[in-house]
Amino acid sequence: MPRRKTGAVVPEMFRLMLEKPTTEAYPFKPIQLPERFRGKLDIDPAKCTGCQVCAIVCPASVITMVDLGTRKVGDRELKVRRPLFDLSTCIFCGECVDNCAFNALELTKQFEIATPNKADLVMNKAVVK
Amino acid sequence: MTETPDQQRKEASAGLMEYSAESLVPFGPIHPALKEPEYFKLVLEGERIVNVIPRIGYVHRGLEKAAESRPWVQNMYMFERTCGICSFVHSVCYGQAVEELTMFQTPRRAKYIRTIILEMERIHSHLLWVGLMGHWAGFDTLFMWVWNDREVVLDLVEAISGNRVHKSMNAFCGVRRDMPENMEDRIVERMKFLTDRARYYREIIDTEETMLKRTENIGRVSADTVEKLCAVGPMARYVGLRRDVRLNDPYAAYDEIPLDIVTRNEGDVHGLLRLRLDELIASANVVSYAVKNLPDGPIRVKIPPIIPAGEHSSHCEAPRGEIFYYAKSSGGRTPERIKSRQPTMANLPTALEMLKGQTLADIPVVLTAIDPCFGCMDRMSFYDTETNRKWTWSGEELRQFGINYYFPERKKKQGSLAESVRQKASHVERAFAEEP
Repeated sequence: MPRRKTGAVVPEMFRLMLEKPTTEAYPFKPIQLPERFRGKLDIDPAKCTGCQVCAIVCPASVITMVDLGTRKVGDRELKVRRPLFDLSTCIFCGECVDNCAFNALELTKQFEIATPNKADLVMNKAVVK
Repeated sequence: MTETPDQQRKEASAGLMEYSAESLVPFGPIHPALKEPEYFKLVLEGERIVNVIPRIGYVHRGLEKAAESRPWVQNMYMFERTCGICSFVHSVCYGQAVEELTMFQTPRRAKYIRTIILEMERIHSHLLWVGLMGHWAGFDTLFMWVWNDREVVLDLVEAISGNRVHKSMNAFCGVRRDMPENMEDRIVERMKFLTDRARYYREIIDTEETMLKRTENIGRVSADTVEKLCAVGPMARYVGLRRDVRLNDPYAAYDEIPLDIVTRNEGDVHGLLRLRLDELIASANVVSYAVKNLPDGPIRVKIPPIIPAGEHSSHCEAPRGEIFYYAKSSGGRTPERIKSRQPTMANLPTALEMLKGQTLADIPVVLTAIDPCFGCMDRMSFYDTETNRKWTWSGEELRQFGINYYFPERKKKQGSLAESVRQKASHVERAFAEEP
């Protein structure tokens, strides 16, 4: 049978009264992000070869490949494809970044991506010239 | 002649008792005491609960079906999102079932890193639960303090994995990120801090009148009942049953790490509070040991996207109890069948047993005590309450129902199978029309 008394919380109450508030004053002060933080996805269009691996592994259907005509390699005509990103469904898992053999993709530290317009989150850097 | 108040009350209620009998009170699906929608039909006698009839399935998401149309690796991230609290253990359990189908072995270092994250997740889940118990017992100060300490372990998880809840750390046969360098001292020191805090909270719940009055002798069940109803995890351990997958069938690195399995004998909500805080201390010890004895070596073996044909199951000890995954492959890029069972599904019958005999005011405390996660466990079955008829659908019948539903004009050309499907479908439509 436990003892019945009150007062176990009192010392903690006094300790916390003398402490600073634990809440971070976020919009007014920048917050410290950890080194491995995963934020908004970014692509380097110069490095992308259109190999489609990112579109295959993405669990959230963020990436669709867009056909941009053809190009000639030797005497063969090859399709040119580039990824189009709809970041509104991104789950920030980083699977595309891990699987990109050309290091074209990167998860930045940018996290303030809330927007009233979903179209703002479509990233067409690699598609538009 | 004067009467005592008790006699007066008895006399006054004598007439009313003729009308008495049981009253039905609907509880949910949307209720402040439930964080997720679930419906309980309460049969009350006065203020006491006599019987509880649950109705589940409001947040059924069809994850098992969705898994059949996605590649194996994508399912890893989908099953991680089964639960918003114990997310990593789901991906580990699913991953283990798939790893057994391949011929690759998980490196030892990866197993240790998995263990560290799994135990940190347990600490975070138990702290969250203790805070919620404080909240429902009317002791919000405890809620604030505990959730503040929960930030400590979440910061560690974020430093290791890059995210607080959905870690995206697991991969088939390994983990995706190594432990950061020079974090050992920080983790050990933080774990010691959390151990001290857990001891302090144990003192609070043992001595504070507010907590004792709302938790002692509430939700009492016997060990026999719990054993009969097959409860798992803390719900089994709080009546003294030593049921823990980490002990009975070790996975990850639990076979190499000294583990303290906590059991208690109180069998009430207060015992559950003590048990989970003791478990938290045991988990902190496991994390400290694993960090100090982390082996060197690779963290991942890359496996091909096609999994060989076969079937395998796996089970893990989530913070709420045993979870179970079954994976069947036909040798393709997508699974043929995935089955998952979450601990709340196994614990719900015990929770209903705990509710019987309690007052209406104790429902939030007792329901929170089992640490419910209705979104994880919801599933669907067909049951006609009028005729007491139950039935299941085979895959072929389900397909036929889909065809009938989306292409009604095709109904004409069908044999006996489609006829039976249509018969069953009429029951379904009626069941959906009679929502409570």
